[in-house]
Amino acid sequence: MRELGDEIARDYEGREPLLVGSLKASLVFISDLSRATPILHGLDFVELAGYGSAQMGGHEQIRVLKDLDADIRDRDVIVVEDVVDTGLTLNYLVRTFELREPRSVAAVTLLDRPYRRLVADLPVRYVGFVVPDELFVGYGFDLHEQWRNLPDLHVLREI
Amino acid sequence: MGLDIPVFQAYRGTSAPRFASLAELECAKVLDYYGVPWLYEPRTFVLEEDEDGRVTEAFTPDFYLPEQDLYVELTVMKQSLVTRKNRKLRKLRERYPDVRIKLFYKRDLERLAQHFRLDLAS
Repeated sequence: MRELGDEIARDYEGREPLLVGSLKASLVFISDLSRATPILHGLDFVELAGYGSAQMGGHEQIRVLKDLDADIRDRDVIVVEDVVDTGLTLNYLVRTFELREPRSVAAVTLLDRPYRRLVADLPVRYVGFVVPDELFVGYGFDLHEQWRNLPDLHVLREI
Repeated sequence: MGLDIPVFQAYRGTSAPRFASLAELECAKVLDYYGVPWLYEPRTFVLEEDEDGRVTEAFTPDFYLPEQDLYVELTVMKQSLVTRKNRKLRKLRERYPDVRIKLFYKRDLERLAQHFRLDLAS
């Protein structure tokens, strides 16, 4: 965490970036990352309706449950993700934010599965760990909304 | 197969896609949900021809994502049974080195199903 925070601090010194947490799973990560980033920075959150929650009512387009509070025009935005997998969610967020004319958009992710990427050219500049094809719970990661509160990250062997 | 096909927003094809499996339909719905343009089986790649130029082996990936210039092939077979498909993919990569293709195995689909809360049971 310190390494990620130091790296961000080095790259954004004097620019007061806005860390944008993608709820809910990144909540614990952004809390730790923010405290490990020793420069002035802002915090904001966004939440998208996951595909699974929309499909019950039939086919829909993606929906923003909670939008940013901050105006990001001319600001440096760093999207904080728990995991980047296919990249579909991050791609949507980046495209949405870019319409608002920020100075820059980058992303930091705790976990990365680049081998499952469907969307290329994502601005994933900071990566905690490239992980194998395992299911994680704890440290904000859930399975059916359970186990987010476990203090550490655990690999779930069987469901 | 009696799949309930929704009206797609990000589909870039001209005729209605006819999916071969529920996994393909769910994949299309996920792409559509996130606004990623997609096509269904838009191109067949010739892998082998006989002496007379007749096609003896070909491969049609399930999806093409034009903005990513990426083909995606889904397989719901067990990992141990995908040897034939892997061999086709290897041939495709040899014959068309500039074509980008990604194979999603059953295990990948199960992970995606967990992530997106999909029902791929049938």
